[in-house]
Amino acid sequence: MPIFSYLAIPREGARETLCAQLSGLDHCQVIPADNQDVVVLVTDTPDEACEKRLQKRLKGLGSLQSLSLAFGYDEKKEQGGQ
Amino acid sequence: MALDRRQFMKQAAVSSALAAAGAVFPGISFGDWNKLTNNSGIVSWQKSPCRFCGTGCGILVGVSGGRAVAVKGDPNCSVNKGLCCMKGYHSVQSLYAKDRLTKAKVRKNGQMVEVPIQEALDLVASKLKQTIESHGKDSVAIYGSGQWTIPDGYVASKLFKGCLGTNNVEANARLCMASAVTGFMTTFGIDEPMGCYEDMDHANVFITWGNNMAEMHPVLFSRMIANRKRRSNVRIIDFATRFTRTSQAADMSILFKPQTDLAVANAICYEIIRNDWVNWNFVNEHVSFHKGKTNIGYGTEDHFAFQDKGENISFAEYKQFLEDYTPEKVEKISGVPAKDIKYLAALYGDPSQKVTSFWCMGMNQHTRGTWINNLVYNIHLLVGKISTPGNSPFSLTGQPSACGTVREVGTLTHKLPHGVVMNEHDREMAARIWDVPVTNIDPKPTYHTVEMFRALDRGDIRFIWIQVTNPMVTMPNLRRYRNGAQKDDRFVVVSDVYPTPTTDVADVILPAAMWIEQEGLFGNSERRTQHFAQIVDPPGDAMSDTWQIIEVARRLGFDKQFPWSEENYIEKIWEEYRLFHAGPKHEMAPYKVLRERSGVQWPFVNGKETRWRFNPKHDPACTNGKDFDFYGKKDNRAWIWARPYEPAAESPDDEYNFWLNTGRVIEHWHTGSMTRRIPVLHNAVPSAYVELNPEDAAELGVVNGEMVRIISRRGQIIIPAQINGRGVPPRGMVFVPFFDESYLVNEVTLDAFCPISKQPDYKKCAVRLEKV
Amino acid sequence: MKFSIGNGMSSLSIAILGLFGLLSLFTGVCRATDVPDNFDNQGGKIYNAHQLTTEAGLTADSGGRNLADYYGLRQYPGSPPRIPHEVDPAFGGGENDCLSCHGKGGFSAEFGRFAPVTPHPENTLCYQCHAQTTTTKLFVETEWKSVRSPRLGLSSLASSPPPVPHSLQLRENCIACHTGPGAVTEIRVSHASRGDCRQCHATVVQGAPLLEFDRK
Repeated sequence: MPIFSYLAIPREGARETLCAQLSGLDHCQVIPADNQDVVVLVTDTPDEACEKRLQKRLKGLGSLQSLSLAFGYDEKKEQGGQ
Repeated sequence: MALDRRQFMKQAAVSSALAAAGAVFPGISFGDWNKLTNNSGIVSWQKSPCRFCGTGCGILVGVSGGRAVAVKGDPNCSVNKGLCCMKGYHSVQSLYAKDRLTKAKVRKNGQMVEVPIQEALDLVASKLKQTIESHGKDSVAIYGSGQWTIPDGYVASKLFKGCLGTNNVEANARLCMASAVTGFMTTFGIDEPMGCYEDMDHANVFITWGNNMAEMHPVLFSRMIANRKRRSNVRIIDFATRFTRTSQAADMSILFKPQTDLAVANAICYEIIRNDWVNWNFVNEHVSFHKGKTNIGYGTEDHFAFQDKGENISFAEYKQFLEDYTPEKVEKISGVPAKDIKYLAALYGDPSQKVTSFWCMGMNQHTRGTWINNLVYNIHLLVGKISTPGNSPFSLTGQPSACGTVREVGTLTHKLPHGVVMNEHDREMAARIWDVPVTNIDPKPTYHTVEMFRALDRGDIRFIWIQVTNPMVTMPNLRRYRNGAQKDDRFVVVSDVYPTPTTDVADVILPAAMWIEQEGLFGNSERRTQHFAQIVDPPGDAMSDTWQIIEVARRLGFDKQFPWSEENYIEKIWEEYRLFHAGPKHEMAPYKVLRERSGVQWPFVNGKETRWRFNPKHDPACTNGKDFDFYGKKDNRAWIWARPYEPAAESPDDEYNFWLNTGRVIEHWHTGSMTRRIPVLHNAVPSAYVELNPEDAAELGVVNGEMVRIISRRGQIIIPAQINGRGVPPRGMVFVPFFDESYLVNEVTLDAFCPISKQPDYKKCAVRLEKV
Repeated sequence: MKFSIGNGMSSLSIAILGLFGLLSLFTGVCRATDVPDNFDNQGGKIYNAHQLTTEAGLTADSGGRNLADYYGLRQYPGSPPRIPHEVDPAFGGGENDCLSCHGKGGFSAEFGRFAPVTPHPENTLCYQCHAQTTTTKLFVETEWKSVRSPRLGLSSLASSPPPVPHSLQLRENCIACHTGPGAVTEIRVSHASRGDCRQCHATVVQGAPLLEFDRK
């Protein structure tokens, strides 16, 4: 049940498309920057399977140039560690 | 717990990403609000008065892509000089909540069903006609408010009084400033303040009478404290029943027991005479003395009727009357130390001090509201501190056009745009301008607001059209009136912009254009008329209240009286309405002038505004050749009234041992149906609460946030406690803001009213408390 | 619990290159239409504030308050920000209330950071415009939208001083927001000790079309 946040960079001119596509995905929260072509993406998935499906779909997005992880948290791992 | 943690983690994820973005892209920004897409970013600015309180701040609405997107204070408006309050700055957000009413709805088999607005208007017209046919003309009514634009109120009065021939026209302003009107009429014979906001830049002493200006009229209050900062000789005295933000900011806070302001005002006059601080030149030339009836009742029973009868008295008799009000005697009644009463008298009496008194609901929502208005004028008249810059008894209003629409257009049962229905000449004038037979206008007033809703409950009224107000939150002793409105053969039409407890009881809901979605005019507290153009389009089928009434009037066959086209109806209505006020005492500015300026004060004579009435240096209507001319009264004098102290309609006793006081907070305006939909304001004060004195709270065993049951003889509510918040009531009093429809405090309040003004007292009734 | 801030940052290099293309997209540089008529006479505020602000106050570090925080408290460019912390209920508009921290700024031990400075300390009734936040829930969802906030770096030439992109109403005093340890990182200037801001920075408010010079 992980939470991740990323900086997503759109391909040139594809910012609006990227925002629309990301917003259309389940478990995704999108915060576009006002003045740069950068989008903050926060994913919050209920289980491992969902997370894997989402990762796959993110990789398939044509409007996305790169995705870089800014933050990660996994409840399961944490519980396991205690 | 797990959920909270997860939310926290998600927030941390957002923050980390934003921080990372900031590190990599210096200057990157993420706004809080949703951005318009395909937007040029070009903002054009258009003037409007603020839509909330009666101050009448000028604002500039920023428009981009057909939407209102921002607000600035209008630096060209003399009211606020470029500064707003939090409600003004976020006012345009009130247009855009998700549950905006955009389609007409009609009750079919108990369900509200969307219909085209023209169909709903057909139904309103036919119901109106049927009801008159089967129950008579006085079985239909219209109820508006000081949020009506001037054209709204004007067409309502023209249709109901002029065409349908019923005086069943009332407005929420009856609950708000009727006592101010009767105060002006009995003392000066003409309505509305003689002074203006500029008084604040001249006065040395400000006395706020039961008036939490810091929250209710913050823009005026900050002008007051800016003056205190700039000029070293300015003092603010807060005279109130509860310790508020105004008390916090004042140089001195004096608390009195509810209702005893009557006694204290008389004691101030007693002291002024005893010390011979009377301005004899002024009093001999410009003042006459009078008394009226006493033991005048409280109006809690149906069909209550009262007519005051004035009698001339001599100064000696007035002085004799005041013997009951020595500071020492009044200290016992009011709890105000005699030395504080003497201090107040000395401030009013000192010829070197310019004194401005401010009041609003504390004096108006009072079972002796007319009297206390008279009594404060008495003080100013005895010392001659009136109608000159800085010397001003100033009655504030709470709604954007309480003055403009209700008082000036006269949307009250006894009023006409000029004069009253009882006066034959006034009826003739109205009939002439309205192009109706003079016999149409009934010379007998019908129901004032409380009695109108009682008549609806009794069945004397069967059809009521409610526009721009929310009586199912604001009526005192609310449960009776809600039950009445819901009775089977009552037909309730509500024009509004959002769902409210009033639309909940409606049989027809008409979606209304709001504020800058239509052209209109307001009139503020200082006789200033303010025009606004249509700045954005209304959503869906929403239609201005004026146009709704015109549509219905035409369906009833009154095309001749309502001939205007949608292109310029506001201009045409304004120019017709202006005819009522022709002449130097009330001349209104022409439409063209109003369009250009951010407000114009009337009387507007020969291109000039009148800032101080009754003063020949400023007021062209003064003709007696003296230094003042109180031309409202036939004897050309202002009237001092001997008005006694009489107790409240219901005071705490052994069983119900607390005073209940109600009012507002700075964040919310009126019933909150707009301000609660503004994120910043709702987030600041999301719900109502009951303010308790800390010692009372300790005795009750209640801490902040715990629930308290407030019980009166009429109803009860359960509401969270607030202790040592922004306001602190004295022991034995609780205070509840009324904006929150989830805590209907008016189910607890009492429908007692001032017998002269018929304005209810929301500030005083008896309750008991229980910890829940 | 695992934090991995900044993981995978290297892959951003491509994106940074892409950014330069953006600069050419900046439009809407334009003439001011809503500057108060007398703003040119209000410059005394700059000199006074410059004189009164300590050297440390003009140069010390701000501790991370960024533009995202700044706009996060606002509803549209120029709206009065919410109050992001609790307020003593006894604060009643006196000059020793909010202004004891926000009047001249300085380090607040309570918040562990430098307090932002108000550009209009002549207004002491702060809660007239600035609301507290006691809940984040809404009464009803809103469809409010507004224009973008003004962009940074609107310089006409690669190295020219950027113009002032916002209205000066209630914000005539540049020193208050653009200097000192309480200032927002992105808009804190490195050369505040010079003092005469409008020597180089023209007031060019976003909001009206660019007027071409037209010789008649």
